[in-house]
Order: sequence, then C-alpha cells, then structure tokens
Amino acid sequence: MYRTALFILACCIFLIMLTACHDAHETDDFAHVLAVGIDKGISNKWRITVQFATLKESGGSKSQVTGGYETVEMQEQDGYAAITIDAPSFYGGVSMINSILPRKLNFMHTKLLVLSEDIAKSGLVGEYLAPIARYREIRRNVRVLISKGQAYEFIKENKPFFGKTLSKSMEQIVQECSNTGFFPNITLGDFYNDIKSTYNQPIAILASAVDGSSFKEKGSFWGDAFKSEGDYVAGQLPRTGGNKIELFGTAVFNGDIMVGELNGDETRLMLMARGQFKRGFFTMPDPMIPELIVPIDVRLSRKPLVKVRFEGNKPIISLKIRLEGDLLAVQSSINYESKELKPVLEKAFEQYIKDELNKLIEKCKGLKADVFRFGGTAARQFDTIEDWEQYNWNEQFENAEINTEVDFDLRRTGTMLKSSPIKK
Amino acid sequence: MIKEGKFGTHEAVCLITITITAKMFFTSPGILADILGTATWYMTLLSAATAAVGFTFIYLLLKRFPGKNIVEAFEASLGRFCGFIFSFLLAMLFMLNASAIVREFVEVLKVYVLPLTPISFLVGTFVSVVAIASFLGLEAIARYAKLSVYILLASFITVLILASQKYETFRMFPIFGHGISKTILHGLFRSSFYGEVLILAVVAGSLQGTKYVKKAGYLSLVLSGILVSSALLAFTLTFPYYTGAEITAPMYQLTAMIDYGRFLQRLEPIFLFIWFVSSFISVTAIFYTSASLYCKIFRIQDMRPIIFPFSIILFTVAMIPNDITTTATEYIHRSREYGWTILYISPLIALIMAIVRKKRGKKQNV
Repeated sequence: MYRTALFILACCIFLIMLTACHDAHETDDFAHVLAVGIDKGISNKWRITVQFATLKESGGSKSQVTGGYETVEMQEQDGYAAITIDAPSFYGGVSMINSILPRKLNFMHTKLLVLSEDIAKSGLVGEYLAPIARYREIRRNVRVLISKGQAYEFIKENKPFFGKTLSKSMEQIVQECSNTGFFPNITLGDFYNDIKSTYNQPIAILASAVDGSSFKEKGSFWGDAFKSEGDYVAGQLPRTGGNKIELFGTAVFNGDIMVGELNGDETRLMLMARGQFKRGFFTMPDPMIPELIVPIDVRLSRKPLVKVRFEGNKPIISLKIRLEGDLLAVQSSINYESKELKPVLEKAFEQYIKDELNKLIEKCKGLKADVFRFGGTAARQFDTIEDWEQYNWNEQFENAEINTEVDFDLRRTGTMLKSSPIKK
Repeated sequence: MIKEGKFGTHEAVCLITITITAKMFFTSPGILADILGTATWYMTLLSAATAAVGFTFIYLLLKRFPGKNIVEAFEASLGRFCGFIFSFLLAMLFMLNASAIVREFVEVLKVYVLPLTPISFLVGTFVSVVAIASFLGLEAIARYAKLSVYILLASFITVLILASQKYETFRMFPIFGHGISKTILHGLFRSSFYGEVLILAVVAGSLQGTKYVKKAGYLSLVLSGILVSSALLAFTLTFPYYTGAEITAPMYQLTAMIDYGRFLQRLEPIFLFIWFVSSFISVTAIFYTSASLYCKIFRIQDMRPIIFPFSIILFTVAMIPNDITTTATEYIHRSREYGWTILYISPLIALIMAIVRKKRGKKQNV
C-alpha cells in the first residue's frame, strides 16, 4: 500500500515537472543583442542603439518613426538589424524596443558596449555604466569602446567583413590587440573597476566609424620623413577598402570623464608598462641611415619591473621594461645581424622606446591619469586602506618622479642570418 | 535511541567540509569585502583557528562523557533543564541557519539564473529535496557527500585555475585592509562560519568513538579553512575591494568572467554544478542536525515523522525575509557574527560546569 502510494505520488510529480519549465524560453524567442550603443538623446535623455541578428537576408533598408518624446530608427543589414531609440534610461529603452519587436531583447551574447565620445567627455559614463554593470544578462566580458562621433553611427557600420557571422567578427577584431597592441583589451569589468579605482585611472578602446576621408588619392608624395605606423587614432588610418570601423588607440579617463587620447604607438608603450603588451611590429629609423627604416617584431620578455618609494609625499617610481624581438627587414642592407652591429640596433631601439615612453609619461602626468597602474605597486607601501585612500594616489601621480629603463634583446633575424649590400 | 547509521571519518570530513564551504558561494564574500577590504582571505584562517579552539571545548566535553552525543553531554553536565535549553538553542540556530541558506541560495539563483521563477516554487522544490534526503538518513547523506566531493573539488580547483587570467596581485594591497585589529576582531567573531563542525558532536554516535570525532573535526576545519581562504583570495585578486563589496555572488561572477577566446568561455554551468550539489548537501546536513537535536532533546526514537513538519518550518522561515538585503545583511551576517555564542560558548560552559561539579561519564571499551 505504502509503495503504491509512493509510486502514484512520484508519477504525479513527474507528470507536472517533466512537461516543461513554466518560464522556459526557446532560443528563437529572443533577439540576441550583439552590440549596444549609447549616445546623448534628442527626444529623450539617452539614445540607445541595439544591434542584433535577424537571421534573414535582406538588401538593407531603413525606416524611421518619430513620436512626441521618442524617435525610433531601424536599420536592416544582411542578417542583422540595428534599432536606435531615444529613451529616459537603458531599461526604459529596452522596454520600448521590446514593445515594437516580436521577440524579447536578450543581452547574454552582447560583445560590445559603445559609448559616444560626447558622453565620455561629459562625465556621464559612471551614471550610465552602473545600471549596465548591474544587469544580470550583460556579462562583464563585454568590451568597452569609446566611439569618436556617434555610437549609433559606429554600430550602423559594424558589419561582418569576412563571412556572415558578426559575433565572430567582433570577437576577432577585439582579439587583434594581442597581435598589434594598437588598442587595449578593456572589458566592462575592467572599466567599471577602474572608474572607482584608487590604484589607477580607467582607459577604454578608442573606436570610430570610417568615412574614407583620411585616404588621400592625390597630392605630393610623402618623401623620406618618418611617421610611425601607430601615429594615428581611430578614424585616421589613411586607408581605402576594408570594413567601415576602426579600433585604434586609447581613451584616457580621469574618474568617469574622458580627458585625452593615446594614439596607437602610445597605447603600445602604455601596455608595455602595464605588462599587457603581447606583441607588435615596430618600425624605427635605421640607426645609421635615418631616412630608411628597420621593422622589428617586438614582445615583452618579462613582466615590467616597477618599484615605488616615497620621498616625503612625493612618489619616486622606477620602471624597467624588458623586451625581446625578431628582425623583420633591413632596408639599408647593413649587416645588423652581425655580433658587432647587433648591439647598435638594440641600443637604438632601447633609446627609441625610452624617449617615447618618457614623452607618454609626461603626457599622462599632464592628464592626471595613472594609466600605467603604478598605484598598484605604490599600495604595497601602505598598511591600511584608510592610509592609502588618504594619500590619494590619483592626485599624487602628477607629482611623481618616474625613471625609466628599457632593455631590448634581438633574438632572431628571420630567415636571413646576414644582410649583404646591394651592388650598384 | 535514534538509528542514524554508521559512517567513517572520510565521510564525516567530506560532509562537514562541503557543509561549511558551500556558504562561500553566496553573498558572504561581498559582505566580507565591505567590512574588511583586502583582508578577507586570511581573516577566514583566523576564523577557522578560532573554530578549532571552539571545537576543542566540544571535544573535551564529549571526551568527558564517552559514548554520549552533545545533547546527552549537556544534560549530564548541566542537568535536564539547562541541558534542554542549551540543546534547544542549538536546534533553533541550526534551523535558522538552514532557512537562511535556503533563502540566500534561492535569492542568488533568482538574480543570476532563474529570474522569472516564483520564489515559493524554488524554495518549495529545494525544501522537498532536502526533506527526501533527510528521510533517507544521515548515513545516506554522508555517503553521498563522499561520492560527490571528488567531482566538486576538481570543479572548484578548475574554476580557480581558469579564473587566474583575471588575477592581479596588487589588489591584495594594502595588505591589512581596514586595520589589523578589525580583521582580528571579525576573524574571531566570524568563527561561526565554521560552526557546522558541531554537527559531528550531534551525530557522534554514528562515528566510531570520540577520537574519530576529534580527527574528523580538526581535519574538516583545516580543509574548509584552506578552501574558503583560497576562494576568498581568488575573489580578492579579481575584484578590487571597492567594487568587490558590491557584487551579489562573487564566485558566480568570477566564473562568468572566465574567457579564453571563443572556445573556452561561459563556464557558469561548472559553477552551477558545484553550487547546487554543495548547497543541497549543506542544507540537508544542517536541517538533519536540527531535526536530530530536536528528537534527542525530546527522546523521540523515530525521526522520520518529524521530517515533514520540520520541512514546513524550514520553508516558512525561509519565506520570512522580505528581500535579498534583509537575508544577506541581517539573517546571514548576524548569524555569522553572533552564532559563536551558542556554538562554542555553551559547550564551554557545559565543560566548565562538568569540571566544577566533577561530572564524568563512564569509560567505554571501544
């Protein structure tokens, strides 16, 4: 009797439990948002743009609806759509978009959070970021981009260049920072932590939609002057063709206000000092014939060595960066591979990096932004959080004396062990 | 005498270690970061050491009354009335702790995983499972704990290793957090985090003797201390003290942040597995202990009829808190900060009284 009752009870439970979860959703119940853009609004406080997969092919269309306090614009691309809406808050905007879509917006697969430069410079980032960081669907791995120009225009141009998968395309373009070092890999978690940080100031990826105006088809030829490959910020690369977005350089913040920009070269030096530089091709003037160049594939050989001591209230920082690299080309055909000339090239590169690094440090001191994370090392000198916060590292950074040292070893010379001169 | 089954030291260590460490997956690390800043990871070692001292009182009391569990030891030392009060306080504390953990578990589950499911359904399902497991008895729970501990430990270590990509050593500094005196004070008070070691004293009859209680107790405190400290250290290295205090479930967040490119990311399911299984074992062990204490106090021979009404109490108490803030900062925080008074002071009083009144149990040939 007892077993029969138990069996019937179990059957009843299974009948109820195994039918389905009452709050379950199928994958196609959602519109998976891949990128979120935030601008200052015109019809309401915020202009929110969401880009999501529609999983259908279309030639591309645009529709616009304007009401009393809201403007909705929908831009359809091949397999993707972007909706821009003016709303009082992020959640308000999401609700408004949900009301016009047959599917519910879902942010679990969001890859990019794009904030306009306008918002970043007006100190509204903190106000906007807090609710996003709190939202359970948005992961802290989302990359934070500061768009030169409007965020919704950036998202409009955000299309897959290879293949048709936008999410893969976005992940790959962000991962490129480990091959070039021209922009940092900053996630929402990093950015949110750094906005409130007592150790350092926040940075974000600088991005831009490209209109092609940086590429000059006509004009006088460049000549022999040297301009580094990283001497640009997003939107300035002199190119034609390719995708319509650029991630290049760094947006520098003081608290939640954007106070400056670092170009690609400066970004690489900053990443070296932070110990986050993976590798990148550097072009330097030939030490013996400066009108020619020597490209080198550079990487960090070890984590940078940072020491901080205090003279009174003044921090004295010593920074030692240890690099190694492979020779990629020698235009002058001078035999830098030889035992005698290799140190010449190494010393020249060390000096080149050191000079540029010192310039960058002065620039950041001027911006009152410790983007190098020296504060992390300085905090070791303090016993308690109260002492540390009272010292206020972010304010003291501009008074710091920073001594730099660069050590570079040329490890390999590519497929050639020796450069022979061209016979004329 | 209640038949609670027999199990060995291994099972006991697994049961107690899981019961203690499961609590770290909820809101505690965030609240600790708010109070102690960067000093949480070694504060917990101090708590474990304090709990070991508290457990020594319990062990000495049990040693003085061989073959008896803590309820019988209280009665033998303090008399029937005072012993009843001490034991009843323990039973209430365990029931409150079990309810608070159920509610905390469900609140965090709602925040991160199942936001649309009604809370009563989640609490009800969890309590049903706990009741069924308790019905099967302590031996079954202990053996299940041993069975799952290897997978849980492997998953836990995997998560901590994979999360190392987010670790930054500078986040450990300033090393003394908000001051060494505050750290020591909270380290001593929060020893009740490890208070579940007292379960061994309640079910002492299931082990082979007092010396096995001692061995299992100290071993589980050492293991729990190491595991909790490493989780808190991982949390400290990932989240700086000023934002770490904001996060509802830091361990879940830590797992969600693991990202090794397109092929290795979104590892929350591993965490959810550890989280569900360990929470289930933890609540069951605490709930069972509460019911067991009740039965021993009132000399009820069969525990099974008690399980259902106790489940109703568990469900009801778990539904009382109004919101997650009340659960985390009132129920959980207070029970961690003041639980030691019941967990360790009452056995100490009983031990002192037994010494003063020269009470001693008969030696047993084991």
